[in-house]
Amino acid sequence: MDVSSIIASEQTKQKSITVEKEIPVEVDPGLLTVTDLNLLDYDTYKQNLEEFLRSTARDGCQILVTSLFSLPVESTPEGPLAKLPEPQTQLPRSKPLPKPKAVTKWEKFAAAKGIQKTKRDKKVFDEEKQEWLNRWGRDGKNREVEQQWLTELPNNAGTVSGLFHLHLSRTEFLFYLDVDYDPIKASREERKNRIAKNEKQRMRNIEHADRAQATPAEDRKRTIEKTLAVSRMSTASMGKFEKHLDGEKKLQGVKRKATEQERKSALAIASKLDGSSKKPKPGGDDVLNVRKAIRSLSKGKGSSALVRNSQKGKPTARGKAKAKR
Amino acid sequence: MLRTIKPKNARSKRVLDAREPKEVEDPRTAIFVRGSHPGEKVMGVMKDLMSLKRPNAISFSKKNDIRPFEDASSLEFWAQKNDASFFVVGHSNKKRPDGIIFARTFDGKVLDMCEVGVEEYVPISAIPGPKASPGHTPLMHFASELFDAHPRYMQLKSLLLDLFSAGEIGGGIYLKGIEHVISVTIAPTPSTASASGVVGPAADSSSILPKVYLRTYTVSFQKSGQRTPYVSLSPHGPSLDLVMRRNTDPDPALLQLAMKKPKLKKKDIESGLGKRKRNQEVDDMGDLRGRIHVPKQDLSALDRSTKRAKALRKE
Repeated sequence: MDVSSIIASEQTKQKSITVEKEIPVEVDPGLLTVTDLNLLDYDTYKQNLEEFLRSTARDGCQILVTSLFSLPVESTPEGPLAKLPEPQTQLPRSKPLPKPKAVTKWEKFAAAKGIQKTKRDKKVFDEEKQEWLNRWGRDGKNREVEQQWLTELPNNAGTVSGLFHLHLSRTEFLFYLDVDYDPIKASREERKNRIAKNEKQRMRNIEHADRAQATPAEDRKRTIEKTLAVSRMSTASMGKFEKHLDGEKKLQGVKRKATEQERKSALAIASKLDGSSKKPKPGGDDVLNVRKAIRSLSKGKGSSALVRNSQKGKPTARGKAKAKR
Repeated sequence: MLRTIKPKNARSKRVLDAREPKEVEDPRTAIFVRGSHPGEKVMGVMKDLMSLKRPNAISFSKKNDIRPFEDASSLEFWAQKNDASFFVVGHSNKKRPDGIIFARTFDGKVLDMCEVGVEEYVPISAIPGPKASPGHTPLMHFASELFDAHPRYMQLKSLLLDLFSAGEIGGGIYLKGIEHVISVTIAPTPSTASASGVVGPAADSSSILPKVYLRTYTVSFQKSGQRTPYVSLSPHGPSLDLVMRRNTDPDPALLQLAMKKPKLKKKDIESGLGKRKRNQEVDDMGDLRGRIHVPKQDLSALDRSTKRAKALRKE
């Protein structure tokens, strides 16, 4: 039996998917777009508009679908998924390209040293409890000392570092020792200080990033503002009697840095008031008042009389004891 | 100018972060704005265009007395406020009846605008048959030699592509899911006219600019005996006959910025461009494992199903 005729008749029944065009149409599968740049037939357009539009669209659409079906296909539960190539037609963006993220001081250092970033687990294993604990946060490991009910005091509790090497007397040692030392408070303070330090570093990194991204105009404005602020504060009264201009911002946190000369003279005055740099009394300390001792021993006659007497004979027992005390 | 908002909680921070510029952008959100006197026809056109644009569309239901060609500051404000970058403004007056303005922005500033007048309009509702599901990307078809030659039509093509087409890098399309095609055809001119060069960049007058036919068709596939099916089209709606009116060209400096291309690594494109695959991980054996959230079971519900001794029942 010859089936070729049946196959041929079946094939003629099926519609052809080939479309003939004078100029090949531009297909952009990435945008699912087809652009037909051929001259359109004016006569068919005039005769039947809708049919003309539909047949033009069908031809273009057929070419686009043919190109879509020839794309590499990935099979998914929902059906074949054709991977689209990158669009050829470029359309304008709606927002500018993102700016590269500013490097922090640590990242810069780590890059220079070749330090790899390692991800820290949020959980840490506690050997004593034999369980995983939060590194921070609720019942965090970083608050272990603060939260436990009993804390062992070390022998050097309440001392400042290096205190043991100073060879101090007992009185002096006790003076430097923090008698109210609280391990919970100390641990909390240490943690809070770490947080504060981190925050300070973060703010500094942000400030650096802002400054790096500033346009020349912004940069110039900043320098002018800074110079103005410094000059206004540079009077003897630190700007107290300066005329306030309209719309001028109130200066905040501006402190004038004293010169070396000013610093020295101010320190000298302070130490004078404090009395710590008083000249030592001639010939004596707080324990023994030599002048008083001489007056008492010489019975008000003075040191020369005392010398004369001592040359005559031995000093009295009473006088000796007093002088040695 | 909007004030800069500092996020006060994680949620608002996420929202603001999503608005930050991205290397690969999301499809443009379009705002449909009614002018002071839109008129019934323009309202219908906007409604239909919006149904094609959904879900990336915002409708402004109140009338706004704006003239984008005279002052585009309102558009720029709305663009920032709504994180949108495309506008379809409908208005109608005696001088320019039934007008639609397509405008797009770059970085919160209007890049370019194009006004068309609607002459004939057949709404979606007037055409029977199944409609395309919202969020489905249409195929786009442009037919005329002018789309490569005339700056006005090149701009219109670019605007319409920006409005309807979601060009995605590294994206895919379900071949069975192709639903509709938007076809834009420019009316052909008698061969003598086009040969003598009446139509071209030199003839930049709206009276000479030929009409634009925008048609939407439903795509259906028929067997062709091959892998590629035979495409047949049936009307879907809306159908618009448009005339070209005013336009503004993009500022060259702004356009240059807008046309900057990000340098993407091939590896990034293949791995889905930073789109986070949440709750998925590949284990040591190389198997993909998903993690699902199981909410806390309501054990009291179990209680009711079993009979308990009266003394143990909670009342």
